[in-house]
Amino acid sequence: MKQLRVALVMLVIGGLLTTVAFVMAFTTAEVQRFGTVTLSERIDTAFPLQEVTADGYRYERPWFSQKIFYFHVPVAEASFLVFGVAAFFAIRFLMTKRKEYDTKSRIAMETAIVFVTLTMITGILWTRAAWGVWWEWEPRLTTYFIMTLMMIGYFVLRNSIEDEERRAVYASVFGIIAFINAPISFFITRLIPSNHPVVFQSGFATSNLVPFILGQIGMLLVGYAIYSIRMNEERLEERVEIMKEALEG
Amino acid sequence: MDPTNEELYRLAITDAPYVLAAYGILWVALMAYVGMVFRRLMRLEREVQVLEESMERRAGE
Repeated sequence: MKQLRVALVMLVIGGLLTTVAFVMAFTTAEVQRFGTVTLSERIDTAFPLQEVTADGYRYERPWFSQKIFYFHVPVAEASFLVFGVAAFFAIRFLMTKRKEYDTKSRIAMETAIVFVTLTMITGILWTRAAWGVWWEWEPRLTTYFIMTLMMIGYFVLRNSIEDEERRAVYASVFGIIAFINAPISFFITRLIPSNHPVVFQSGFATSNLVPFILGQIGMLLVGYAIYSIRMNEERLEERVEIMKEALEG
Repeated sequence: MDPTNEELYRLAITDAPYVLAAYGILWVALMAYVGMVFRRLMRLEREVQVLEESMERRAGE
C-alpha cells in the first residue's frame, strides 16, 4: 500500500510538471521559426520581413507545431528509458532465473508500449502539421516503427508459449534483442541524413530548455508511477491466486 | 509573455489543431490507462478482502 501511495504522489507531481511545461511552452518559451508566411498587409511584427512579392509581404513563419516538442520528446525519451528497464530486468532474469524479474520486465515492457504508442500518435500529428503528410519512411520514423513492431512481437511471443519457464526465457531473449533498436532509433538522426529534427544539435535557449526539462522529469515520474501501480496490481493478483489455492486445498 | 509568442497568436496558424490534439490525446490516453488499471486494482482489493474473510471464517470453524 505504501508503494501505491508513493506511485500516486509521483503521478500527481508528474502530471503537474508536464502541465507546467505545457503552459510554459506556449507562454515563456521562445517561438522557433520555420519557412515563411505571406500576408496581404504589412504588420508590426517580431518576425523579420523576408521580401515583398506580388502576393504580399513574406515573413518568417512561427513554427507552431514545434510546440509538440515539449511533450512529444519527453514521451519518446521515457519510452526508450522504460524499454531499457525492461531489457535490464530481462538480463537479470536470464542471470538468476527468478520469476519476479520476468514479471518486472513484462510490466516495464507494457509501460513502454503505452509510451511508444503515445510517441507514435503525437509524432504522426507533428508530421502532418510540419511536413504536410501523415507518415514518411525516413530513418527515425522507420526505425521507431520497427521497434514498435518488435515490442508488439514480444507480447505475441509471450501469448504463444504455454510453458511458464520457456515463455519467460524466450521473452527475455527477444526483449533484449528488441532493445537493440532503441539506441539505433535514437542515434540514427545523428548518423545518417534525416528529415526528423535532431534535438540539442544546434543548442537551446534557456526559455526553451526549462519547460523541456520540466516536461521530461514529469513524464519520467508518470512512467515510474504507471510501472509501480501495475506492479502493485500484479502482486495483488498473485496474492489472490495464492489465497484461492489455499481455500480450495 | 515572450513577444514572439504574442506574434505567434496574431498570425493565422494552421498547425494549432494538430498540436492541441496531440496534447489532448496524450493526456486522455494516459488518464484512461491509469483509470483502467485503478479499476482493476480496486476490484482485486475487494477480492482480497472477501478471500481474507473466508479464510478467517474457515480458521474459526
